[in-house]
Amino acid sequence: MDTATVITMIFVLGIVWGGCFYVVSLAMRRERRKIANEK
Amino acid sequence: MSSRQEFFTSRWGMILAVIGIAVGTGNIWRFPRIVAQNDGGSFLIPWIIFLFIWSIPLIIAEIAIGKKTRKGTIGALSEMAGEKFGWMGAFVGFVATAIMFYYAVVAGWCINYLYSSFSGTIVTTADHVALWDSFTAGYQPLFFHAIAMLIGVYIIYRGVVDGIERWNRILIPSLLVMLLILAVRALTLDGAMEGIAYLFTPNLERLFDHRIWLQALTQNAWDTGAGWGLILTYAIYLRKREDIALNAAVTGLSNNSVSLLAAIIVFATIFGIAGAAGVEELEIGTGSTNIGMAFIFLPQLFTQMPGGPLVQSFFSSIFFLSLSVAAISSLISMIELAVRVFMDMGLMRRNAILIVGSLGFLFGIPSALSLTVFYNQDWVWGVGLMISGGFISFSVIKFGADKFRREVVNGEGSDVQIGKWYNYVISLLIPLQVIVLIVWWLYSSTQWDPEGWWNPFGAETLGTCLFQWGIILALFIGFNKVIVRRTMKHTAKRT
Repeated sequence: MDTATVITMIFVLGIVWGGCFYVVSLAMRRERRKIANEK
Repeated sequence: MSSRQEFFTSRWGMILAVIGIAVGTGNIWRFPRIVAQNDGGSFLIPWIIFLFIWSIPLIIAEIAIGKKTRKGTIGALSEMAGEKFGWMGAFVGFVATAIMFYYAVVAGWCINYLYSSFSGTIVTTADHVALWDSFTAGYQPLFFHAIAMLIGVYIIYRGVVDGIERWNRILIPSLLVMLLILAVRALTLDGAMEGIAYLFTPNLERLFDHRIWLQALTQNAWDTGAGWGLILTYAIYLRKREDIALNAAVTGLSNNSVSLLAAIIVFATIFGIAGAAGVEELEIGTGSTNIGMAFIFLPQLFTQMPGGPLVQSFFSSIFFLSLSVAAISSLISMIELAVRVFMDMGLMRRNAILIVGSLGFLFGIPSALSLTVFYNQDWVWGVGLMISGGFISFSVIKFGADKFRREVVNGEGSDVQIGKWYNYVISLLIPLQVIVLIVWWLYSSTQWDPEGWWNPFGAETLGTCLFQWGIILALFIGFNKVIVRRTMKHTAKRT
């Protein structure tokens, strides 16, 4: 794989899969905090 | 089945249900094909940009409208934009319902091919074109269409918690596991890495080609379910404490993550089994249509997979089970949308399900028996979705984009605060994208068929779009007062 392909792969997977992982973990943290506040 | 208002019992139950809407056959059978036809890596960059300026803003709008109004598409758009615009909500609801009629047929095809994979027919068949032709030439699609509708109606009959939430809790994680199994197998084929390289190799010059941008926008518009009114319908069942913007981001990014996984599976499989010639099949050969790719080209590849018939049947079964699960999880949201519109007009849930289930079966029959009708309906209402997205954006503009953002999106339960950028995206960028898309599609349709583009009875012509949209819009505008009055009267009683 050439450099441009590797950079594109990291860029695309980083934004889509990395972004997905980030928002899911953020949602989990916020949900835990919300539940703790409700108790 | 309870007649009182139900709510999703947890945030994750709701998110999985909404992902169930977004992840459909489009992620698996359309995305990889469109990537191949638009130069691989070059396509992925605009595709990501439109995720953030089309899909996620519209998902935010739909969740917020559903949570605020607690009404189906007609009541919701009447409340947001004013009662004289209730016909827009009716059009949004009708487009999704018209798609449901033929989407149940697609779900039936997937179930049939799943059965054929289990029975071994797929891997013992030499001619997959003949297999597909003999299947669609007879009455079998009708039988499997009925099965798909029965499964969908059963899940909706169970209710929001025991039906939609419980089933999506099973279906979506199972789909992900199955796709991961397929990905592991595909990536361990000899030559698979060439497929991955093809998928991610950019041709930066192609970024100046407007067609790549339009295809990327179209793909986002079709495969996330944003702007269809389906997410709006599920959001009716959101508890007050639930967030909007973060949940929308989770939905949009999860949907595109699944698309990317599907593309990795398809390209690794193609290069691993057929080599670079396989991509040509996706671009201009048997795999160049959704049906050709899923039901002819990929089954051909499964028969060439190393490991013998048992292994081939196993992976073929997993593929068609994934496709069936993706189709059913989306189909149930279309049934629920129509059921909710009827419930808002005063029907009991049970009666509404009976009506929608019967209509779904009956109006799906022409598409089940004729591929020409199927292509026509897919063309007319697929393009109609762009208008639906425009109507949802319009309702937010009429309500007041800034007020909507401050009071609804950033209101009770929000985990993250959305900035003023959202006002510009929803009131300027989305309408602009709708206009560009519709003008481009309509212009393209005159180019594909310069002689017959005006024909209202053609399968995929501009004339048939305008003719069918015109009839439906004229009916809804004409009966706007009656439809809206009935909806608002009954929803007011409920609240």
